[in-house]
Amino acid sequence: MNKLKKFGKKNIGFIFIIPWLIGFLVFKLYPFMSSLYYSFTDYNLFAGMTEGFTLQNYKDVFTVPVELTALKTTFKYAFMTVPMKLVFALFIAYILNFKLKGVNLFRTIYYVPSILGGSVAIAVLWKALFNDNGLIRSGFALIGIDAPHFMSDPKWALLMISILRVWQFGSAMVVFLAALKGVSQDLYEAAAIDGASKTRQFFSITLPLITPVVFYNLVTQLVQAFQEFNGPYIITRGGPLGSTTLMSLLVYNNAFTGYDMGKASAQAWVLFVILMIFTMISFWSQKHWVYYADDEN
Amino acid sequence: MSNNIDNNQNNVDITPEVNTGASEKVAMAKPSGQSDTLKKANKNLKRRRAISTFMRYFVLIVVGCIMIYPLVWMVGACFKQNSEIFSSMNPIPIKATLDGFKNAMKSYGGNINIWKAMLNTYSYVIPMVILTVVSSVVTAYGFARFKFIGHNVLFALMMAMLFLPQVVLNVPQYMLFNEFGWIGSDFYLALIVPTAFATETYFIFMLIQFLRNVPKELEESAKIDGCNVFQILIKIIVPMIMPAVVSCALFKFMWSSNDFLGPLLYVNTPAKYPATIFVKLSMDSDAGFDWNRVLATSLISIMPNILVFFAAQNQFIDGISAGGVKG
Amino acid sequence: MKKRFLSAFLATAMLATTLTGCGESEDKTTEATTEKATTEAATDAGSDAGSDDGAADYEECTIKFDWWGGDSRHEATQAAVDAFEAKYPGITVEINFGAWSDWETAKANEYLSGNNPDVQQTNFDWIGKYDADGTTYLDLNTVSDVLDLSQYDQAVLDKCVDVNGGLAGIPVSVTGRTFYWNEATFEKAGLSTPTNLDELMAAGPVFKEKLGDNYYPLVIGEYDRAILVAFYLQAKTGQPIINEKNEVTVTEADFKEGLEFIKSLEDAHVIPTVPYIDGEGADSMDKSQRFINGEYAGIFEWDSSPAKYVSALGDNGDDLVVGNVFPELQSYSKVSLMFSISADTEHPRECAMLLNYLLNDPEGAAIMANERGIPESASAYATLEAAGTINPLSAQAHTEVINSDPLYWNPLFDSKVLKGDTSVYTTVFEQYSYGMDASGSAYDVDKAAADLYKGYQDAVAQ
Repeated sequence: MNKLKKFGKKNIGFIFIIPWLIGFLVFKLYPFMSSLYYSFTDYNLFAGMTEGFTLQNYKDVFTVPVELTALKTTFKYAFMTVPMKLVFALFIAYILNFKLKGVNLFRTIYYVPSILGGSVAIAVLWKALFNDNGLIRSGFALIGIDAPHFMSDPKWALLMISILRVWQFGSAMVVFLAALKGVSQDLYEAAAIDGASKTRQFFSITLPLITPVVFYNLVTQLVQAFQEFNGPYIITRGGPLGSTTLMSLLVYNNAFTGYDMGKASAQAWVLFVILMIFTMISFWSQKHWVYYADDEN
Repeated sequence: MSNNIDNNQNNVDITPEVNTGASEKVAMAKPSGQSDTLKKANKNLKRRRAISTFMRYFVLIVVGCIMIYPLVWMVGACFKQNSEIFSSMNPIPIKATLDGFKNAMKSYGGNINIWKAMLNTYSYVIPMVILTVVSSVVTAYGFARFKFIGHNVLFALMMAMLFLPQVVLNVPQYMLFNEFGWIGSDFYLALIVPTAFATETYFIFMLIQFLRNVPKELEESAKIDGCNVFQILIKIIVPMIMPAVVSCALFKFMWSSNDFLGPLLYVNTPAKYPATIFVKLSMDSDAGFDWNRVLATSLISIMPNILVFFAAQNQFIDGISAGGVKG
Repeated sequence: MKKRFLSAFLATAMLATTLTGCGESEDKTTEATTEKATTEAATDAGSDAGSDDGAADYEECTIKFDWWGGDSRHEATQAAVDAFEAKYPGITVEINFGAWSDWETAKANEYLSGNNPDVQQTNFDWIGKYDADGTTYLDLNTVSDVLDLSQYDQAVLDKCVDVNGGLAGIPVSVTGRTFYWNEATFEKAGLSTPTNLDELMAAGPVFKEKLGDNYYPLVIGEYDRAILVAFYLQAKTGQPIINEKNEVTVTEADFKEGLEFIKSLEDAHVIPTVPYIDGEGADSMDKSQRFINGEYAGIFEWDSSPAKYVSALGDNGDDLVVGNVFPELQSYSKVSLMFSISADTEHPRECAMLLNYLLNDPEGAAIMANERGIPESASAYATLEAAGTINPLSAQAHTEVINSDPLYWNPLFDSKVLKGDTSVYTTVFEQYSYGMDASGSAYDVDKAAADLYKGYQDAVAQ
C-alpha cells in the first residue's frame, strides 16, 4: 500500500496529461497508423477493399504524371514561398527595429494580412486581383507592362498562390522583431568601435545571434507550406494544367471526391516522409549554423 | 543597458564610450566650443543619420502601402458598382452604392444567410477556444512542472506532433469520425470534441515555454502552505501565465474561424454552414457574378476577426514572440 | 412536336381515368378533364394520382428531403413543400438544399455514413456510383400505389433501374444539349444566328474582323468539348459513343478526328482557347463577365439550364435565343435528375406521397414549375402547359433536342475516370488547347487522341 501511494504521489503529474494522452492516442496515433495501413491497400470508401498489401499506391506517386507533378509542385511552392517569406520578414523586422515614430502602426499594418490571410475571404480577393481584368494586370498596364496571365499561365499561377502566402509574412516578422530586440546593443557598439560597417554588423552579429529564431521560423513555415490547401482550392482549383495542384489538394481530391482512401493515404505519407526528412536535416544542420546563447562557443 | 546606438548621436557632449559607426573618433567632451573638424564631422553624421532614417521610413511606407492596398481596395470595391470595380485602381468609388451589401444580406431560400452563417461559426468556435485553452493549460502544467513515469518519452512524442502534417490525418480521422457518427453532426462534434483533448500541440508548446519562465518559489511556498497540485494550478499558475493563455485563446479564435477544410468535410447541412463555407457558397450559387456582392460577403465574414485583432493586438504579438523566442 | 401532343393527349386521358377513381375505363372527355387539371384541385381529395382514400391514410411523421439547385429552384421547391405540408397536416418535411458545387461530396458522405435523407434529389449517374448493389435507393415500384408511375413513359423509367431491376429513382426530366446564342452580338456582327456548322465556322472570322479579337461566336469548356466531340462522332457512326453494352463504339482515329474538329473551331476564331477562358478565372460561364458583356456570343448547354444564363445577362436577358442542334451533329439525351427514396426510410409511404405531390399532383407540379427542366410527368406537363407557365426558352430548347432524335446515353460517359477536375476530359482538352501537358512537354493531337481513347476504355472497364 505504501509503495503504491508513493508511486501515486510521485507521478501525480500524470493526471494532468491524461486528456492529452487520450487525444494523442485516439486522434493522432490511431489515425496515423491506420493511414499507414490504408496506404498499402486499394481501399475505396464505396467499393471496399479488394487487394491486401500492395505497393501500387506508392509506385503511382512517383510514376503517374499527375501525382509526380503534384509532388514537384509542392516542393517548388515550399522552396519559393518560405525563403521569400523569411527574407521579407527579416528585412522588414530589421528596418522596424529602430526607434522610429509609429513603429506600432507599421507593425500592425504588416501583421494584419497574417490574421486575415488564411481566410476564404482573402482567397476570393486574390481571385479578383489576379484575373485578366484584375487589379494587378491593370496596375502593370498603367506603367506599360503586359503582366502575365496569372490565372491561365501555368508558369505564373503558382507564383500567384505563393504571393498570397508571402503577403502574410507578418507573423514571421513579429517573431524576428522580438528576436532582434533581444540582441544586445553592446555588441553593435563594440563592433562599431572596431570599424565594422552596418552591413558587416548585420552579417556577423545580428544574423548569427538570431539563428535559433531563423531555425524556428524556417521549420514552422516549411511544415505549413507543405500543407497549403485553401489558396489553391479556392483560387485556381488546382490551376491551369495542374500547375497549382499541391499535394494536399491532390490528397483531398483523391480522398473526398474519388473516395480512393488507399491512394490518398499513400500520397499523404509520401508528403509526410519528405517533410520529416527536411525537418530532420534542419535539426541536424542546427549545430552547424544555429548559435544558441547557452552554447559553449 | 546602453542606449540604442542609432538614435542619440546628435550631441557630442556625451560620455565618450558611446560611439557612432564609421571611423569618427569622438574626442573628450569639451564643455564649450567645438573644433571645426568636429562640427563638420557632426554635420556629416547628422546627414547620414537623416538619410538612413529617411530610407527606413521610405521602405516601410512603400512596402506598407503595398501590403495594405489589397484590403483597402477590397473595402472600396464593396461600395462600387460592378462595372466600376475593375475599371480603375482607385479604391474610392466614383459612384458609391450599397448594392453589394444589400445583396450580401441575401438568404438562400430563408435557410442561411451571412448572419446565420457567422452565428454558426461562433457557435462552435467559442466552445473550441474554451476547450483548447483548458486542455492545453492542463497539459502544459503536467509536462512542465512534473516528472512522472514516461515523461521524457511522452514529451518527445508531443513535440513530434508539431511536425505532423494534418494532411496525413485527414483521411483516417474522417473515417474514425464516421464510425462515431460525427459526420454532419448538428453540434459540430467532429470539430469540437478533439479540442477537449489538447490536440493543438503549438499551444501546449507555447504555454510550456512561458511556464518555464515562471519562478517556482510561489508554488513551493504554496505547497508548504498545504495546497494540493490542483489548487496550485488554478490559484497560482493560471494567473501567472494569463498573458500566454489569452494569446492562445486569441490564436485559436482566429484559426478556427478561418478553418475551411474542417467544415467542408464535416458539415453537410447548408443551414449549418459556417461563414467560411458560406462565402464560397455565395460565389457558387447565384447566377451571374457580382463582385461587389461577393467581396461584401467576404468583408462581413472577416469583420469580427479584424475587430478582435485590433482590440487585442498586443496580446497577439506578445504571444507569437513568446512562442518563437526562447526565454 | 408530335410526341409532345401525343403524350399530352395520353396524360389528359389518364388524368380523366384517375379522376373517376377507378383507373380502368378510358374516358376521352378531354375538355372536362383539362379544366379539372388546371383549376383548384385542392378541395378534390381524388386529385391525388392514386386511390381516393390513399391520401388520407398516412402516419404523422417527419421526413427529410434534400435537393440542389439555384435560388429560383429553392424558392419553388420550398413553396411546394409548404403547400404539401398544408395539404397533409401531420407530415413535417425537414428540408436541406444547397448549390451543386461540392454538393455531391456532401451527399457521398451521407451515403457512406448511411444516414441519407428520406427523400432526395439524385443525379442519374448516382445509381452506378452509390447504389451499385441496389440497396441504397428504395425500389419505387413498391410504393407505386401512392406514387403514380403511370404518368411516365415506361421507356424513360426503364433507364432508372438498378442492378436488381428495381426503380431506383423517378426521372424528373430528360434533357439534352443544344446551342444558345446571344442574338444581339450576332446582329452587331451583321449575322443571323447559325443553324449549321458551316454558318458557325463562317461566323468566326467575321466576329474577329467586325467586333474584335475578344469576341467569339461560341464558348465551350473542357466538358462541353467532350460532349461536342461525342456529338460529332455519333453523327459519323450513328451510334451512341458508349452503347448499352458498355462498349466504346469509336476508334482512336475517330477521336483524333473529333479533336481536330475542336482545333479547327479554335483556329477559325469560333471558340476561345482554354488558356483564354481560364485567364478570366470565372468558375462557370454564367459567372463570366465576358459572357455577360456579350463577348462570348454562344453557349452549348442543357435544355434545362437557360434560366441562370438569362438572369446572368440581366437586362439583356432577352438576347439569349435557342439554337438548333446542327444537322452535322448527333445528340443524345439523358435523364437530367431524379428523385429517390432512401431504402432505409421508415416512412416510405409518406415519402412517396411527397414525391407524388411534387411530381404529379397538378397543385404541386404548378408550384414546382419547370425548375428542373421540362417535367416528364404527363400530368405535370399538362398542368404547366395549360397554365402557360412553361419557360419558353426551356420548352424551345427541349423541342430542339427532341427534334434531333437523340440517342441513348450511357452513364459511364460521366464516370469519375472521365469527368472531374483532374479527370480525362479536363486534362485532355485542357492540355490539347494549351498545346502542352503539365510538365511542359508538347501535347499534340495524337497524344490527346490516345489519352482520350484510353480514358474511355478505362471507364467502360469498371
